[in-house]
Amino acid sequence: MKPRSFEEMLKQDAAPPADPAARRAARQAALAEFTRSNAQAANEALPPRRSAIQALLGMLRLSRESNSRGSDFMPWYSRRMLLGGAASVCLAVVGGMLVWKTQQLQPEVARLEPAALPVAPPVPEQRADVPANEPMAQAGVQANEQAAADAKLKDAEAQELAKRRQAEGESRIEQKPLTTGIAQPMAGAAPPAPAAASAAPAPNEQDELTVSGYRGSLQASVEARKENTPVTTITSEEIGKFPDKNVAESLQRVPGVAAQSAAGNGSFRFKGDAKDQYQEVGRDRFEHFELNSIKQPAIESERVSTFSADVDTSSYSFVRKQLDQGVLPQKDAVRAEEMINYFDYSWPAAESREQPFRSTVVVSDSPWGKGRKLIHIGIKGYELPERQRPNANLVLLLDVSGSMDEPDKLPLVKQSMKLLLGSLKPTDTVAIVVYAGAAGMVLPPTPVGEKEKIIEALDRLEPGGSTAGAEGIELAYQLAEKSFKKEGVNRILLCTDGDFNVGIDSTNELKGYVERKRAKGIFLSVLGFGQGNYRDELAQALAQNGNGVAAYIDTLNEARKVLVQEAGSSLFTIAKDVKLQVEFNPATVAEYRLVGYETRALKREDFNNDAVDAGDVGSGHAVTAIYEITPVGSASRMVDASRYVKPESAASTSGGTSNEYGFLKIRYKLPTQSKSQLIETPINVDSGKVGEGIKRDVEFSTAVAGFAQLLRGGQFTGSLTYEDVAKQAQAALGDDPFGYRSEFVQLARKAQSAR
Amino acid sequence: MDERDLISRAQAGDATAFGELLDSYYDTIFRFAWRWSRHRANAEDIAQLACLKLAGSIAQYRFQAAFATWLYRLVISCAQDWKRSQQRHDHDELHEGASLTDGSQSEDQIYLAQVLLELEELGEGMKETALLVHAEGLSHAEAGTVLGVSESTISWRIHTIRRHMGKREARIGESA
Repeated sequence: MKPRSFEEMLKQDAAPPADPAARRAARQAALAEFTRSNAQAANEALPPRRSAIQALLGMLRLSRESNSRGSDFMPWYSRRMLLGGAASVCLAVVGGMLVWKTQQLQPEVARLEPAALPVAPPVPEQRADVPANEPMAQAGVQANEQAAADAKLKDAEAQELAKRRQAEGESRIEQKPLTTGIAQPMAGAAPPAPAAASAAPAPNEQDELTVSGYRGSLQASVEARKENTPVTTITSEEIGKFPDKNVAESLQRVPGVAAQSAAGNGSFRFKGDAKDQYQEVGRDRFEHFELNSIKQPAIESERVSTFSADVDTSSYSFVRKQLDQGVLPQKDAVRAEEMINYFDYSWPAAESREQPFRSTVVVSDSPWGKGRKLIHIGIKGYELPERQRPNANLVLLLDVSGSMDEPDKLPLVKQSMKLLLGSLKPTDTVAIVVYAGAAGMVLPPTPVGEKEKIIEALDRLEPGGSTAGAEGIELAYQLAEKSFKKEGVNRILLCTDGDFNVGIDSTNELKGYVERKRAKGIFLSVLGFGQGNYRDELAQALAQNGNGVAAYIDTLNEARKVLVQEAGSSLFTIAKDVKLQVEFNPATVAEYRLVGYETRALKREDFNNDAVDAGDVGSGHAVTAIYEITPVGSASRMVDASRYVKPESAASTSGGTSNEYGFLKIRYKLPTQSKSQLIETPINVDSGKVGEGIKRDVEFSTAVAGFAQLLRGGQFTGSLTYEDVAKQAQAALGDDPFGYRSEFVQLARKAQSAR
Repeated sequence: MDERDLISRAQAGDATAFGELLDSYYDTIFRFAWRWSRHRANAEDIAQLACLKLAGSIAQYRFQAAFATWLYRLVISCAQDWKRSQQRHDHDELHEGASLTDGSQSEDQIYLAQVLLELEELGEGMKETALLVHAEGLSHAEAGTVLGVSESTISWRIHTIRRHMGKREARIGESA
């Protein structure tokens, strides 16, 4: 008899009828959950459950996106496993050699298991009956992922997290199989290996963290707190009571602990110290550029310097992040103008919206080149008063791909966006579009007045899937067009870690798309998050083509700076296509060099061509540019004067102005106009006489410029050192209400020791 | 339509509407969960997970795809979550030949369970594709929407499955 085909069998494959009891239980549980999630009352009763385990499982899963699939887990998993594996092999070899050295004195032990020694793990698992001389090693193993994620939780006293530097470098997956087989003979045969001993420092009461079981958790929590010791407890009962969705999120709030929910599937990674975290390195991409060279006004073609305004600050945040980790940033990540413009300077602001700029020119001595001078050109844009701000129509385009699953990515994005809400008007609208495996609208345009709705939508986001950036951008533009505000600001805020690997992924195509939409009045700003795979060049290109800013957000503090303090500047453009042009006077200036703006250089003829796009300036934005010049007659010329071509004499230049170093021209367009306007200011030789505040700001920006050049290799900065920079900046701190400047001083010190 | 109205009301927070929705869809959820897991208790677990998840995420349904399609997607994701959690919890027991079936099953069912297990190993989404297309009777395009892949991918998978089954029959024929 011919068996029926598989397809037929499947078709006739009848499932048994559902058990009414199970059905009732599911219905009840779901209804309770439904009420709970609707009421948003975190302290309401937990859903009735068939067992505590299932209910807990249910809670842990709720946050999972419905469209994420099993594969989401793998890329993340294998990436770390590979590197973790490599790290553990290295550790094991070192550990093994140490053990081998010690055991050479005991030949019979060494012969016992020679093959196993090289893979000896730094943290041997010990049974409970081993004398408690290494409690942390024991905890380390217990608190690994499986144990922590075990929904039973009952025995998981994960006394965790003192300083598990080594243990964390170990792959979490391999830890177990490696330890069980080999650790026993080792623990029995020899005193603890030095490597193991160093991985397990004495327990520190303050760093202890207890995760207690569900049953009796309330009691345990109360008791632990009663003891009034510095113990932080989180009990499973509390999970629903915080705005967190699972234990990992709760743990994240404990100081000094970094715990993450891996791909939202309820498994956690614990990190003893944020510094121990594995960091992806080396795949950040930056546009390469060469430093501006020294130009001589005596040569006709080099007399004029033209560039576009740049108000981005992402370079500074990125550099700071790298230095905080003790690593010198790659050179192309350092853009001097963005570092200088990161700070707020007290250049006098313009008075009206119609003439939105005022320029300030200050000449000072160069601290790194004797006999040379620095010309500061400061432009401060008009600051729109709050009530004059147009309504904003914002579309948040958020990357929720699997790669955003890092503490400094999606969680930071969410927090940043919540901060942003605080600086918007109730009549502004916000929509949220996410993109991952599939792009989707999470929130239709909603007035900021209904803040809870927006926050709720943000909270629901979970990372997962690959990145289809282009598709997301299209959807975001559609939404922005739908709720277009004619008189207002229409802007898309793209938050990403830089990956756009599906769809339109050619940078040029994307740029073109953004540019076409710009013509319709919808602008795009890019907020970069995370590192390791950050595509700075793409973020920059998109923001520049979308008339927006590109900012890099590494900390919540940075988010506050960009989205709250400078919300006006980031969102409301007061002038577009701002270009600067300086013509130097060959009678007074022998050489000049523009610090930074390499990526913003324009051709001389572009200045008057209104079709050429340039940087945009937002409400209250300041743009600062620094030229280093060598006056004529100074002994510190870098380039020798030509033997054959005589410099034009002062008399031959028009106007015969020997008291001017040059002439500054600024072109800009008002946001609604397409014809540019011109501002002109001469740069006088004696523009050094300014008020105390400005003088201090000049000092400070000089320090930042010096710092940026040092990071680029110090080609033009002579004997300047990081120490000099720190001192100079320290002396020019001023009020520094938010501590940004003192942070810079710290940064300069860090650069000394960074590699 | 009535269903649409029900969903909108549930999204607005109407518990009665959500209850009705559950009543009418629990069978579908359970049936698919059972077909996926081939095990009553497990299917009940998955179905409960799916109901819980539905409660939390019904607000995210956008009426872009049919509700049933969206629901399949949700159940599959729950089933996969569930399986992952099982693998984690039963780490050590897996090799003891954890029972795949209830025991009291016909030959056909055991055969199907085996085949589905093979399909699972054949490649990601294979088992789901087979279930959606053959057992649930979805079109290739619909199955594609559920699984988030293109229609042609589904067709390719169905073809691969058929080829696998062909080879399997041949192998069994040889050994017999």
